Amino acid sequence: MKTATLNKSDIGKCIDLLVQSDLRVIAPRLQPRLDDEGTDSIDVLTFTEVDSGNDHQVGEGLLPLNGVKEFLFAKHEPLFAYEKRGKKVEIIPVHHEYPQTVIIGVRPCDAASIASLESVFSDANAGFEDPFFTERRSRTTFITYSCTAPDASCFCTSVDLAPDSSKGSDLHLTELGDGRLHVEVITEAGEAVAKKLEALLEGEGDQAAREKAGASVHEKLTRLRNSAPIMDWLMDTANFDDEMWQRLGEKCIGCGSCTFVCPTCHCFDIVDENKGSKGYRVKFWDSCQFDHFTLHASGHNPRDWQYKRYRNRFNCKFKIYPEKFETQGCVGCGRCIRACPVNLDITEYMAEVAHKAANPNAMKADSDFE
Amino acid sequence: MSNIYQPDLMTIAKVINEAPGIKTFHLKFQDEEVANNFSFETGQFGEYSAFGAGESTFCIASSPTRPDHIECCFRETGKNTAALANLTEGDTIGFRGPYGNTFPIDDWKGKKLIFIGGGIALPPLRSVIWNCLDLREQDGRYEHISIVYGAKSVADLVYKREIEEWNEMDNVTMVKTVDPGGETEDWDGHVGFVPHVLENDFKPDPENTIAIVCGPPIMIKFTFEALERLGFKQDQMVTTMENRMKCGIGKCGRCNIGSTYVCIDGPVFTATELAALPNDF
Repeated sequence: MKTATLNKSDIGKCIDLLVQSDLRVIAPRLQPRLDDEGTDSIDVLTFTEVDSGNDHQVGEGLLPLNGVKEFLFAKHEPLFAYEKRGKKVEIIPVHHEYPQTVIIGVRPCDAASIASLESVFSDANAGFEDPFFTERRSRTTFITYSCTAPDASCFCTSVDLAPDSSKGSDLHLTELGDGRLHVEVITEAGEAVAKKLEALLEGEGDQAAREKAGASVHEKLTRLRNSAPIMDWLMDTANFDDEMWQRLGEKCIGCGSCTFVCPTCHCFDIVDENKGSKGYRVKFWDSCQFDHFTLHASGHNPRDWQYKRYRNRFNCKFKIYPEKFETQGCVGCGRCIRACPVNLDITEYMAEVAHKAANPNAMKADSDFE
Repeated sequence: MSNIYQPDLMTIAKVINEAPGIKTFHLKFQDEEVANNFSFETGQFGEYSAFGAGESTFCIASSPTRPDHIECCFRETGKNTAALANLTEGDTIGFRGPYGNTFPIDDWKGKKLIFIGGGIALPPLRSVIWNCLDLREQDGRYEHISIVYGAKSVADLVYKREIEEWNEMDNVTMVKTVDPGGETEDWDGHVGFVPHVLENDFKPDPENTIAIVCGPPIMIKFTFEALERLGFKQDQMVTTMENRMKCGIGKCGRCNIGSTYVCIDGPVFTATELAALPNDF
């Protein structure tokens, strides 16, 4: 593997070089947003397109509010247009721009989620390829940045990841603590980007210092859960009717926030946005937490209670993704914990399942509710 | 790259009013090349759209042995089905498919078949019923075919003309029933719910028999229980599931029962397969 070093203060210059190479560059950036009252503006860290290296927060602050999902799987996009003329209908393709893109400053948790989405949208899933996803994926390069600032909601080390993991990365950066970054070329796409940054890269990296720097962040991750037994426990269908689901899930209000901030949630809806005789068929993010999501035309609803909808979400992360799509379902970014208005915590479920798996004969796990 | 969400255009060649709120469409592809390349197997489904209203999931209700056109049969319940119901002969609809797995009709050679359906669940069975009847006509591959079908009332029965046709056929037993209170004065069928009539009046012999069941989840549950009491084993019972779908191709994430996606792993399942799934349907 090729390595090099880069001065952290040169990241702005890196962005400039990439922009000058006609690449679309996306980076974490503080963006003003209206506060809850809609009166004052607060700055929120989000991944957003930047047009120069003057204004970015790569490697600074906490995890951006959004993941990188929206740059591969659009929040809302037309699939085609149609026009009705009498008894005939014409389908008109919609032109989508898929610019060559570099996303810089991607956290290892977010980078790991890309393979998860790919397993759903690529033709590896039943032979059907979603071209809107794969066209973007093939034109996007990920420059990841080892996490330096996990917060109290982060739990990547509980799901077999690490704050300095390079999974899903093309070019990986790790702070060495002396103002320099260790640069690792992971893929060919990463190599191509590294070539554009050649003028700023120096010599070889410092592998030992990189390992040490990465390990020091591990210690900051205090929310440790054992995810190893979770899938096995979920595979036993008898546990699908365990009392835990209703007890823990009762407070869920079904707002869907967890699913919209989740980097691996892939559910969407398809509807026609029609005006007169013309319109677009559009695909947009949906959530398995909504009551009508699985509602049959007959009125029957397989997930007729909110706890059943949250049970599906948990199963999707720890059973369905690994079993069906053979990939990781939860990357431990903690966004669902931060976003939840009623403090529903996925790691509480993880701990409870691990406890139940370790104590199969116990009627109930220890809980405050007993 | 091809757009998996873009439907092919079809012309409504014929509209049949089956029952109150229920219509059958005969559909033909507008593009000759698409028509020539199209094939499907019994049990598969499609996404049907009235442009401007959306898409709905229905099985293909016709048999692959009759490839002149495809048929769908639907009840007007929501926005898209209401828009479809407003269309007339010559109008254009969108179709994506065929999707999903198929009834294992080759595995049933030499066996007796019982098709059991309720209400609007006859259309998925109609495809496989005609497929099996047509194949038996060619090579006698199935011993005996029985059809047990019921609806809320006499008016709600779909494919009324075909029920009579099946009734007249040699080596076919047609058992029709309506729910209590749904009968008319001249009704010559049974009165009672399908699982009840099956268990107490028809009493099929499980020996060398496959039962193919389609209906709402509650009807499937009670029918499987009745069949088990009659001595049927789980691998002799087959059904087709109809969970809510949007994409039909394993992406949109809403038809799953545990890790099983009804759209790409189903819609056809044996009772053995269903029993292994979590209680989420």
